[in-house]
Formats: sequence, structure tokens, C-alpha cells
Amino acid sequence: MNRTLSFSILTALIVFLIGPFLIIVAASLSAGDTLAFPPQGLSLRWIVKVFTVESFRDSFIMSMILAVGGTFVALLLGVPAAYALSRYKLPFGEAVSTVVTLPIIVPGIIVGLALLRYLVVPFSFSIGVALFLAHTALVLPYTVRVVSSSFNNLRSDMEEAAVLLGATRLGAFFMVVLPNIRAGILAAFILGFVTSFNQVPVSLFLSGPGVRTLPIDMLSYMETTYDPSVAALSALLALMSIGIIFLAERFLGFSRYV
Amino acid sequence: MFQNRAEALALALPAAVFATVIFLVPVVIVLAEGFRSPAGWTFSAYTNFFSEPLNRLVLVRTFKLGIAVTVVSAIIGYAAAFAIVNLSASGKGRMIGLISLPLMISPVARTYAWIVILGRTGIVNQALQAVGLSDEPIRLLFTETAVFIGLLQLFLPLMILSLISALENMPKDAILAARVLGANWFQVFWKVILPLTREGLVVGGTLVFTGSLTAYITPAILGGSKVLMLETLLFQRVTVANDFVSASVIAFILIAMCFAANLLLKRLATARNKR
Repeated sequence: MNRTLSFSILTALIVFLIGPFLIIVAASLSAGDTLAFPPQGLSLRWIVKVFTVESFRDSFIMSMILAVGGTFVALLLGVPAAYALSRYKLPFGEAVSTVVTLPIIVPGIIVGLALLRYLVVPFSFSIGVALFLAHTALVLPYTVRVVSSSFNNLRSDMEEAAVLLGATRLGAFFMVVLPNIRAGILAAFILGFVTSFNQVPVSLFLSGPGVRTLPIDMLSYMETTYDPSVAALSALLALMSIGIIFLAERFLGFSRYV
Repeated sequence: MFQNRAEALALALPAAVFATVIFLVPVVIVLAEGFRSPAGWTFSAYTNFFSEPLNRLVLVRTFKLGIAVTVVSAIIGYAAAFAIVNLSASGKGRMIGLISLPLMISPVARTYAWIVILGRTGIVNQALQAVGLSDEPIRLLFTETAVFIGLLQLFLPLMILSLISALENMPKDAILAARVLGANWFQVFWKVILPLTREGLVVGGTLVFTGSLTAYITPAILGGSKVLMLETLLFQRVTVANDFVSASVIAFILIAMCFAANLLLKRLATARNKR
């Protein structure tokens, strides 16, 4: 392929993929009252406003709890399961791995609806708890997959040696296996965090008074208001994601695991 | 390999039970709801659903947009992946980074940007009016085109990344050999590149197609109630009309399409391994 052609293709591609996002950042720095590009004057007023909107603060905290807590629980469930799947001849191993990775295939909106109808309503679960369970189920497949590949890349004779040398199975896991898959677990955590934090469909039906994730809050805010504060919030969130990815890449070589 | 079955079960059971109780069972009940009536099992929910012209329109539109986004992203994807694999190692790494970056950014933020671009006072309308192509703002938002553009931008990176890895695994001299033997570029693509990168195309295509079918955010923001897709229709049926039966039918259609796409993927992947 000739150089000019390939250069123009890639430039157009980057403009299409990244350009809209830069426009959002520019629009969020506007001094005007409505969302516009080019921005009408420069100011940080909308960036500042984001921090003063109470519902954004509450839903941000909610989303953080779901993303950190849900991923943590998903790891507590997923790491042992991944270990069993890679190290043991598990009866019904195929069925187990299908069931834990299924939430990746089934659209999230259906999971949210199902939990609302058959967990929240009949058993009077609180919506917050259902939301937490839904996010955990959603992240579980990612943790199992990423951690499984770490286990599969780690030779099993190391832990067998540890056991032969007198360690208990549990001791061998914590002293030999875990330190070696640390990076994989951290990668799974970051992937799970980003997935949960950005997730919309699962949370659509699972929102109620005081219980709302940040993306859902943004969606409902933009329906009623046409000021640049959602743009400002979007820009801030993207900076957060980019920061996390940058750190992960820097310290882990994150891209190897995804 | 360890042999202790009880140990293995104890490790795997919590996750399996959790996924079954929190996810599998409720979803199955939701799906069953569409086949139930006071008189017993029935397909009447489905016949009712399909007799409604709006529902048929939405189903066809969702399918059409899914196919269109997949095909266009495959075409752009091949061109882009080609340009990228021919770059120097560091250039390649940087491009892959730039293409993966949007995947980590909130889809709400990414979709919102199109409102600024396509809105009544957006860049496109400003430009059209400045050049004199149009006297008044054209409605670009809340059209199928807007949803198409939004979906394409959302899912294109997945296609490009799959095709890059497929092209990298392809023997480099295959193209050269075909050229030396007299094939033109069209034949090279059709007879050499396409068969050799089929697996990457299928992986990318499945991700893009199922992603587009089950998109909620893009049609919600860029389509509104004018351009409903299956997920926005499902949400509307439940919130506006409390119509859980239609919701169950839509859920079944969505799941069936996702499973079909994934099965196809598995079939094609194993067909390749057997050869």
C-alpha cells in the first residue's frame, strides 16, 4: 500500500475515533450557557459545576462502590473457579465455565429486568443490593477469563514441588501461585472496574430513589438540560480512564492481558 | 493436574451457584414469561408482537443497522489494519494504543459528542450553512444515519483490532506470491487475504454485530423515540406500558440472535482448527 494513501486512511480514522472526543473536551471549556463548538469563550465554570451537582456526586460514589466492590467480589468468586478449571479435572467443568461466562453474551438490559422482576419485587431485596449483585455477575466472566489465562500460563509443577516439599495445598497457593499471578489479577480488576463503571443497560431498570449509577444519571440529566456540564463530566471521566490505563500500562504492560 | 474432586468442586461451586442464582434462573424465568398464558403454554405473545407494525419495523431496523455497521466496519477495518501492520513497530504500537483508547472511555461520553457535532447548531450544520449548501439547519440527530455513525464509532476499534491480529498471523509472502503469479489486487484480496484472515473477520464481525444489536446508549441518545432499536423498544415497553410480555419476546429475540452469532463463531473457529 502506498505511503500517502495509508497515511490519509489512518489520519481519517483517528479523526473519526478521537476527534469527537476532543470536541467534547473543547465544548466543556466553554464560557457560554449552551453546549456548542467552537466554545463561546474559555472558562472552567462547567468543570467546577460538575463537582457542585449533588446527584452527580451521589451517583459517582454509587458507581465507585459498584465498580470496586463488585469487581472485588467477582474476583473472590472468580479466582478459585478459574483455579479449579485450570488445575483440576472438574466434573461438569464445561458446564461450570459456560455458566460463569454466560453473562458476557446475554444483553445486560435483560439481566437488569430479570433481577428487578424476580429478586427485587418478590423477595423485597433493596435495589442497591440487586444492582451490586448484577454488576458482580457482569464482571465475573471477565475475571474468570483473564485469571484463567494467567493460571494456564503458569506451570503447575512449581506448586506441585511446593506440596512435595511439605507445604499444604493452601500454603502453596498463597506462597507460590498467588505472587505469580498478581499482574493477571490486577489486570482483571482494572478490566472489571472499567466494565462495571461504564455499564448502562444492566443498571437501567435497577434505579430508584437515591440509587442510581453515574452513567444513568448523566443520561437523565442530558434529557432535560442542554448545558455543557455533561460534556465536562464526560471529559473528566475520560481523563480518569486514560489515567488508569496509562498507569496500568506503565507498571504492568496491561495490554498483554486483554 | 490434581485429582481431588471435592476440592475442585468446593473451589468452583461458589461462582457457579452465584451465576446460576443471580443470573441464569431469573433470565430463564423472564424468557419463559413470553410463552405463558393463564391457559398454559402458548405462542400468542409472539404472534401479537409480530402483528404490530412498529415492532416489525424496529426488528428490521435493528437487524439492518447491525448488518450495515458490521459490513462498513469490515471494509474500513481491512484498509486501516493493512495500513497499520505495514507501519514500523513503534508506529504500530502507538496506533494500536490510539485505537484501543476509546474502548476504555464511557460510551455515554463518546456518544454525547455526536450531539455537539450533529445537533441543530452543531458543526456539520454550521459548515453546511457557511458554505451555502443549506439555508436552514438540517435534522441530523434522531435519524438512522446518526445512530449508524454512533454505532460505527463505538464498535469500529473492535473490528480493527481483530483484523490486525489476523493480518499479522498471515504469512507475509502470500500476497507477494499471488502478485508475482499475476493476480490483480482484487483477486489478491478475494482469494488470498480474505480466506487467510477469515477467523479474525469472524471474531471482529461477531463482536460488532452483537454489540450493535444490543446497543442501548447509542439509539437512546442519537435516535430517541423516533429511531427505536430493540433495546430502546424493550425499555419503552416496560417503563411506558408495563408490558412485560413484549419485553420477554424482545429479550428472547436478542438472546437468540446473540447466541446464533456466537455459535457461528465457534463453528467457524473449530472448522479452521480441524483443517
